[in-house]
Amino acid sequence: MGLTLIWGVMNVINLSHGPIIALGMFGSYLAFIKLGINPYLALFLIAAAGLLLGIVIYMVAVHRVINAPHLSSLLATFSVNMIIIGLGTAAFTTSPYNVDFSMGQIQIGSTSLLGTRLIAALVAMLVTGSLYIFLYRTRPGKYIRAVANNRAAAELMGIPSTQILALSFGLGTMLAAIAGGLIATFFPFSILSGGGYELKSFVIGVLGGLGNPVGALAGGLLLGVLESIIPAFMEASWVPVIEFGLFIVILLVKPSGLFGAKK
Amino acid sequence: MNILEIKDVVSGYGEVQILWGSTLNLQVGKVTCLVGGNGVGKTTLLRTTMGLIRPWQGSIHFEGQDVSRLPPYTKADLGLVLVPEGRQLFTDMSVVENLEMGASNIRARSKMKQNIERVYEMFPRLKERTGQKAGTMSGGEQQMLAVARGIMADPKVLMIDELSLGLAPVLVLALFESLRKLRDLGITILLVEQNVQMALAISDYGYVLSEGTN
Repeated sequence: MGLTLIWGVMNVINLSHGPIIALGMFGSYLAFIKLGINPYLALFLIAAAGLLLGIVIYMVAVHRVINAPHLSSLLATFSVNMIIIGLGTAAFTTSPYNVDFSMGQIQIGSTSLLGTRLIAALVAMLVTGSLYIFLYRTRPGKYIRAVANNRAAAELMGIPSTQILALSFGLGTMLAAIAGGLIATFFPFSILSGGGYELKSFVIGVLGGLGNPVGALAGGLLLGVLESIIPAFMEASWVPVIEFGLFIVILLVKPSGLFGAKK
Repeated sequence: MNILEIKDVVSGYGEVQILWGSTLNLQVGKVTCLVGGNGVGKTTLLRTTMGLIRPWQGSIHFEGQDVSRLPPYTKADLGLVLVPEGRQLFTDMSVVENLEMGASNIRARSKMKQNIERVYEMFPRLKERTGQKAGTMSGGEQQMLAVARGIMADPKVLMIDELSLGLAPVLVLALFESLRKLRDLGITILLVEQNVQMALAISDYGYVLSEGTN
């Protein structure tokens, strides 16, 4: 969702998305293990830190290349990606960590569902809903859509587009950090685990139509369903093959995504 | 009294120089039009005035203050507003959202309710279509919305680039009529037009731009 927001607003493919997910995971770990804060309360801290970090990344690395060809912004965000991974490796090494936290299980028929996963799904829906309301009902949200739609016209109307772009990047980063904080409650992770989730974000974003937050949630659900159904028919190692095959097919057949975004 | 003074402005895009020393003054409360053939730099002059491109030389004074280097959104805050060529609406947003975005600058926000009433009175068609996406309206309606969005910015000076472009003559006439009303409300207007006769008919002053100088 963060990836799709940043792409939708500023046409920047954010390659630092993955390590920020990983930072969210470590945020959750540090808050829980070192400070003893409940991982769900820690999400608020992680979100605030993510927002700030995103604004800083935007101002330092992205702003000067935002009108440059895509390669420049790709390289800029890739550099941020390498910096975070480098610093993270120095601080935490690449060995796996986990947040030992349980919310019990819920039995539905023959399947059992981890409480932490259920809550993660609820939080994801809540965040999507809030993002939607923010973008469509509040003044800063509408500014973001106006800048995404026509940056020059927004400037003419008195909207300071640089601040709005920084805010959008901050929000995108915040969403990635929250995702990391949630995933950390049920999967072990290392500083390198962001990469896999970043790739999934691309598939999800394209499925739902890049630049469309609600499409991103729907795309995420679809991918989740696929991941759980495919192992019933073939070996689990085929999952990424099918996923990325699907990714290419969608790019060829309907590049605007299943839920048709604007561009 | 001049509310806007553009003096010896030189500007262009990249290496390409387009304006070679343009001077233009706007009398407060009047309609001034700027005419000239295709490609002589009318739009460039407006874009430079607004700050979308920087002047290389020369100065722009608004209400006596030097605004030559200010970014467009600061100029909008001061009351200098441009209705750009080709409308440049927020096509994915609804009519009423476009109007709200028009009222983004500091001065206009508090007057939004009052200005929206004024706009609906001037263009009843927009009131019927508040929820429609701007991009799905007809060309004439979009041009109305572009002007309306400019009015929402509560301008002291409203600059309009190619109001009549691609519109039926009846519509153009109606739009020009609405400009007269705006002038009577005390808004200074700069019209940039290729439709010379119509533009001169409603203007108090006229300038001709040729080959980047006037």
